[in-house]
Amino acid sequence: MSSNLHQSGVRLLRMLGRHAETVMDVYLSGSVDETAAEPGVISKLTDAGILWRPDDGEGLRLTRSVRALLEEGLKDERNRQINANVGSALATIKTLASHYKEARSHSDHSAAEAYLADLSEHVYAFTENLRYSIRVLWGRINNEFGYVGTISAKIRENELAQSQVSELLNGLELFQFSELGEIAADIRELRKLLVTTLQETLSDCTQELSVVQARLLELLGRFRQIQGRTRLLKGWLLYTDMHPDYEPMDHVAHRKVPMLFNRAEAMLADAHVDVHNQSQEQELMEMVARIKSISRLGNVSAAKAAEANVVLSAAEDFDIPENPLKQDVEDYFVAVIDSGKRQSALEYLNEKALPWDSESWIYQVIGGFEGLSEEHKSYFELEPLGEPHPVYTGNFIIRDVELWLS
Amino acid sequence: MSDVNVSPASLVGHGALIERLLRGEFICRVTDEDGWRALKSPAVRERIETYLNQINRTVASAGEGEVFFCGYAQLGEAERKVISSQFKDICQALIPLVEWLVLVQEASGQDAPLTEGAPVRLTELQARVEETPAFREQLAKLSQYRLFGSTSNNVDAQMKLVFKRLVELGYLSRPNLEKQIYIATGKLDYLYEVIRFIDETEGLNLEAQAEIATQRELL
Repeated sequence: MSSNLHQSGVRLLRMLGRHAETVMDVYLSGSVDETAAEPGVISKLTDAGILWRPDDGEGLRLTRSVRALLEEGLKDERNRQINANVGSALATIKTLASHYKEARSHSDHSAAEAYLADLSEHVYAFTENLRYSIRVLWGRINNEFGYVGTISAKIRENELAQSQVSELLNGLELFQFSELGEIAADIRELRKLLVTTLQETLSDCTQELSVVQARLLELLGRFRQIQGRTRLLKGWLLYTDMHPDYEPMDHVAHRKVPMLFNRAEAMLADAHVDVHNQSQEQELMEMVARIKSISRLGNVSAAKAAEANVVLSAAEDFDIPENPLKQDVEDYFVAVIDSGKRQSALEYLNEKALPWDSESWIYQVIGGFEGLSEEHKSYFELEPLGEPHPVYTGNFIIRDVELWLS
Repeated sequence: MSDVNVSPASLVGHGALIERLLRGEFICRVTDEDGWRALKSPAVRERIETYLNQINRTVASAGEGEVFFCGYAQLGEAERKVISSQFKDICQALIPLVEWLVLVQEASGQDAPLTEGAPVRLTELQARVEETPAFREQLAKLSQYRLFGSTSNNVDAQMKLVFKRLVELGYLSRPNLEKQIYIATGKLDYLYEVIRFIDETEGLNLEAQAEIATQRELL
């Protein structure tokens, strides 16, 4: 008998393998395209219970068990099927346990063994199914119901998943371990199956399901928030379209300003450099060094700009060939030649009551002296009068200059 | 003794953060992840708060505690004036910003409006806007608001200007200057909160109105 079963099982699997293309086409499209498929293949698959016709007018579909096998094997996330029917599984388990006990008490060992095998199969199938359901739920949570496009669809999917979770949880509450314990009594095999295995799995699953439930609620909240924001924006546009004169009320005029609108004015400007901070000296020096190179570049462009200016205003520049200050300096030099004496520049300025500022006068005198050709320069001696800077050594403050013939 | 040494040192560590707050910037995960993390830590936030309190400032937060900004600790006449003018600014910015958010959402065919951390690819968005006359019209309309101030008729110039302004205003950040990829900042979440506040306080029922309008469209 068992070799018979084995053989027909192998035959069935082979048939699946041989017609894998057709089966997958049906899996993906939902029903068989009967015009394209070979009639022989179709009838074989239908006879083997792989395909079935739900209604006369309907196309041929994959049977539930084949579909479930593929969904599980392919980890297809579209799989929404969750078997939450805990009640019937529990009833089956109880019934089989009673069969087993009866066979045992009649010392019908072969029957007892068969029942026990059957019972184990059911218990394991039940726990596996439970874990599978949880896995499916997690899968859906983890990709945030990515298999549907819109937020509203996601919200509906989430609500479906939530109802499945509560159904599963309600089903699990049906398990009364005191009752199962009584059924198992002191039979070791039964205790192991009904009490130890089931209890462990169930408490694990219950815990996990409550985590799943919390995550689903959290996700739902997020979806609702996203949906809410979209609606908020649309609503705002609609409202302002309908009421073009609308302006928000002055929500900050109240005595108590909502924290949301309490925004301080930007107040911070960049800090200044402290040249007396020795710890920063190194860095500041480096910066200054860098500025130099940049300013040289700047000079080039400034010079270019100046050249451009000269071109534009060339006519004006020629208007000042006779700088009166320069003329007076020349007269001063001539006076020194005439008198042949040492003459202080400032005294000369005062004597002649010239209109120049003393500082620019002295500059112009020094400039005039330096501007002479080497030959002419050697006829004169110029001595600056003044004193060294009281604080910074190396600086000499010129108060006056004296000029005489050498 | 060690306490005295530790706290100024750690404040120095957050100097840049305090500066950003005092410059009126919004601190979120996108704009300044380190600063955001620092403000999330109660101990650091407390220290910064103590510091800011000395100049009548406080750390304020929005967007479920994900966005931080600087507010006044106590409100006098002068502070109220500032707040009042800032409120007017944000109210004037609401319509252009909302129109832009809706345009981005519709043009990129997304379900969710932009929120903190969401990327916007300018070139992709621009291609979609250029393809569709309705989007082009919307962009032309919104880019002319004073907030953006575009005078151009060209989609490329309008788009670039709007994005440039949004970066200046702190609603977008551009992590890589060589790429036209922008990231929405937490200030957008602040904006949603402002709209929600106005909606709830004035009882505008914006969401319900949008819902009714959508259902009418579906029918």
